[in-house]
Amino acid sequence: MEHSTPSSQPTVIEKVIAFVDERVGLKQMQAKMLNEPVPGGSRWAYVFGSVLLFIFIMQAVTGILLMFYYVPTADHAYASTQYIIHDVDYGWFLLSYHFWGSTAMVVCVFAHMSQVFLWGAYKPPREMIWLVGLALFGIVMGFGFTGYLLPWDQRAYWATTVGVEIMDKTPIVGDFMARFLKGGPTPGQMTLSRFFVIHVMILPAALMGLAGLHLFLFRAAGPAGPFRGTAEEIKAKTDFFFPRQIWKDIVGMAVVFASICALAFWEPVVLLEEATPDPGDYHPEPEWYFLFLFQLLRLKIFAGEFGQFLGAIALPGAFMALLAALPFIDRDPERNIFKRPVALIGWIVVMVSILLFTMSAIINREFLD
Amino acid sequence: MSDERDSLSPTKIGLGVLWPAFWTALPIKLAFALVFLAMDMMHFEGRLGLGFLMFLASPVTVFATPIITMGLESHIGEGAGIALLFLLCIPIDIWALGVVGRTYFLEKFRKEPPDGLGVTLWWKCAVVGAVFLPLLWFIVGTVTSMSISMAHSVFEMELFKGIPVAERISAELSLWGGVSVTVLIVLLLIGVSLIGRMIRSTSETARPVADSYQHVVTRWDLMRVPDDQGLMLTALTLGGVVLSMLFWAGLPVTTPHPHECCKKPEVKAEPPFKPLEALNKDEKLIAQLEGQIDALEKQKAEAEKDKDKGKGKKAASAPEAPAPKKP
Repeated sequence: MEHSTPSSQPTVIEKVIAFVDERVGLKQMQAKMLNEPVPGGSRWAYVFGSVLLFIFIMQAVTGILLMFYYVPTADHAYASTQYIIHDVDYGWFLLSYHFWGSTAMVVCVFAHMSQVFLWGAYKPPREMIWLVGLALFGIVMGFGFTGYLLPWDQRAYWATTVGVEIMDKTPIVGDFMARFLKGGPTPGQMTLSRFFVIHVMILPAALMGLAGLHLFLFRAAGPAGPFRGTAEEIKAKTDFFFPRQIWKDIVGMAVVFASICALAFWEPVVLLEEATPDPGDYHPEPEWYFLFLFQLLRLKIFAGEFGQFLGAIALPGAFMALLAALPFIDRDPERNIFKRPVALIGWIVVMVSILLFTMSAIINREFLD
Repeated sequence: MSDERDSLSPTKIGLGVLWPAFWTALPIKLAFALVFLAMDMMHFEGRLGLGFLMFLASPVTVFATPIITMGLESHIGEGAGIALLFLLCIPIDIWALGVVGRTYFLEKFRKEPPDGLGVTLWWKCAVVGAVFLPLLWFIVGTVTSMSISMAHSVFEMELFKGIPVAERISAELSLWGGVSVTVLIVLLLIGVSLIGRMIRSTSETARPVADSYQHVVTRWDLMRVPDDQGLMLTALTLGGVVLSMLFWAGLPVTTPHPHECCKKPEVKAEPPFKPLEALNKDEKLIAQLEGQIDALEKQKAEAEKDKDKGKGKKAASAPEAPAPKKP
């Protein structure tokens, strides 16, 4: 005769888990998610994808909280943003976190793309992951561009004006896109409404869909693993996603969270004067991650109608097209970056150029002031 | 494999230990930094990036930072939190260097890590940093200022007068930036190589490992698993809760940088209302006012009396008014 002890009885939580598991296969799903083998073991270099997901979730949370107070109309946007900063409890911190979170997202996208490029992780069979990643990069840039207008101060107004003017130079679709975004001859209520809808509805939906697809494709192809080391070494170090990679991801998220908070304390969002069609003493310029392009367009070689088209549309467009075609052009299976000199030199040149022109733009700003 | 171990350059060894040790310690240091920032104990002004680098590299900057601050009159920021944070960094760095150093000894040197490796590596790194970093700071600073003025004077020459502003800025920046970055990288590599040599000298006295590679991997894996995981998790959770509470308690509710348009007027708090005191005060005031009214009424009555008396006297002494003429 069997006697069941109280400890052998399942608890309520265990019963609920068993109930859900029976219906949706929870344990199988959990095992599939956590027991993914990571070739060569966990690495700090692999944290950027998870960190990006974390930043996006935090941006969504802070964005929703800000929307409780923000009014997307030309006559109330500025005042409601000032109200968030000056009257709402911890509103200044929420807004500053959201602002610096967007910067962190751009930095992490750059870091993630660089890691994939240097590790040669775009090569077959991971071409589709790379292409979806490029689309996600475009969405992140779109978030930055559309969100910048919402406070409706001089900086926001003129950065958008400059950005839309650059977009206008695109052949065939440029004029339509610029008119669609502005909704009139000068930025006004229609512009604000459209940017707001794109920022809070269209882009988040697109990002969620594409991020899901990105993750699905990543799971289907599996992690690429290190580009160096013997087969014996890689096999000996191979580990599951849980717990070591998850621990590294959590540490990465904590570092990014703390860094964004520190930036929010160091440089909290302070608005300029309310947007007007007269720039006054203000020198219009875009957000820092577009500064290199802005400075590039100041060079004499890019002066005039054709020069502006070349610098603002043709060059960045060609660069993005090259990135998209990369997995199909580069068919060499070698992944070690130190054995791919063209890729290594190309990456260094691009990074140094971006850094150089961004710093030049900052010096140029001081010169203009 | 043995040849590869012997051929490890000092720079590779230095980087192999310092780089992961910096990042291993950073999350804990950042948590404290965040609390100090929220409590307004640290100010970095325009030097947040430099401050971040100093804290990231605290095993080598712990003694070098005060030397640079005092000796070279250059500081990363203000506030008691900075000194406190550097003090807190010491045990954290000893732990991080110990974890990373033991792994490195097993994986790369295939040697048994000696006892107290974390402390040994920490004080050696700190001493090398204290001597080398102020030197690096001085040399890079001097080279940068010299190359800026040289680049500027080159573009002041008649030959380059026609160059537009944007091109000139980028060209000048490339010139002086290239020089100072090259000097900085060379000096950093020399510094890392010094630390690499020091780590190698520490490893020379250690016993070699006899285990297979698979066993070595398992050993360094297990080294990172705490003996009492429950205790570790509880301690971490409690620490996190305390730091979170300190963070929210210290965080200002409204912006510390108000805009010109929205500065709040200084409001003085009204004293609390005490009904009995107010009633007594009002009664006194009413009594006082009553007295004043009585005095005024008396004064008025006396004045009227005087007026009437005056009128009577006048009427008695004045000649009779002539009777109106009849038409």
